[in-house]
Amino acid sequence: MRNMKLDFLKELANIGTGHATTALSQMLSGRLFQLVVPDAQMLPFTEAADYMGGLEQVVVGIFVVISGDVKGYMACLHPLESALVLIRLLTGEDKAEIDDMGRSALQEMGNIMVTSFLNALAKMTDLLMVPSVPGLAVDMAGAVWESILAGAEVTSKVTVIRTRFSTEGESIEGHIIFLPDDEDFNRIARKVGLGDL
Amino acid sequence: MPEIFVNMGQISSSKDNGILTTVGLGSCIGVTLYDEKAKVGVMGHIFLPHSRPNDADAPPGKYADTGIPAMIAEALRLGATKSRLQAKMAGGANLFPNLNLNSVSIGQQNIEAVTTLLKQHGIPIVGQDVAGNHGRKMRFFVENGVVTVTAIGKDPVEI
Repeated sequence: MRNMKLDFLKELANIGTGHATTALSQMLSGRLFQLVVPDAQMLPFTEAADYMGGLEQVVVGIFVVISGDVKGYMACLHPLESALVLIRLLTGEDKAEIDDMGRSALQEMGNIMVTSFLNALAKMTDLLMVPSVPGLAVDMAGAVWESILAGAEVTSKVTVIRTRFSTEGESIEGHIIFLPDDEDFNRIARKVGLGDL
Repeated sequence: MPEIFVNMGQISSSKDNGILTTVGLGSCIGVTLYDEKAKVGVMGHIFLPHSRPNDADAPPGKYADTGIPAMIAEALRLGATKSRLQAKMAGGANLFPNLNLNSVSIGQQNIEAVTTLLKQHGIPIVGQDVAGNHGRKMRFFVENGVVTVTAIGKDPVEI
């Protein structure tokens, strides 16, 4: 991938992540969420799961199919500890593992984050981007990760945005992957005046 | 005993002893080939069923259609006899069943591709733990051909 394209993809992801964080903050009203370090990296697909802290670590993966003017895929991944903090903030219940209520809270949160991410890009480009109902998996990082890559038909490299939120002294880590279809990605670039990348 | 980790798209092998391990099989398939007499074991971690012209630099183990022949070649290189090879496989799950990404899940496509290819090569599948909606870890003990499969929140199984 050429550098300009990567930079633009990073920029889109940063804008989207900013909006998604604001939406999350509103959802958890009264608690300040601060985006500490957004950091984007393009990784060979075989290394991406390791980058997230080991293949066997339990993670929560939220996976969404995008349709409309822009087609593609989006995913958010959180380490288990971060997901448990999120569940506690969302439901007020402190649990050691993710039960049905926790799953639905995370699914709802994923829905809100993805929708606000895509809305921000849609507003900027005037292109319609509609997320599907989110799929949710709680499993080994390697398994979740490769299932997302295979589902999105990524066979070489992938750009991963790492984000960190903090609230009341607790840190929440997340990884966001935004994978627009190649041709649709060029439409986004043209819409914001960059031409084909 | 050395333990070799087999990452996505890789093929690794061992003779006489050693453990071949692959962690985090989702829709991917872990395949093992074993010649009990020669004590030769090969493990592959296959990502997708069919190789693509736009990914010509991919390692052969990434796709089933290039990976299975490459695994057989590796077994023969270490002294195995093709007619004695036996296969086991694990993985091919669908972690996001509510998304309906494809009419047939990628995991299922992988299972079918690997099964067909092994059949074409006359290699029997003597053990498997496939499909479902959960990830798996697969360990292959080359000393005796035993393969164990573990998953989060489940008891380990021997295949």
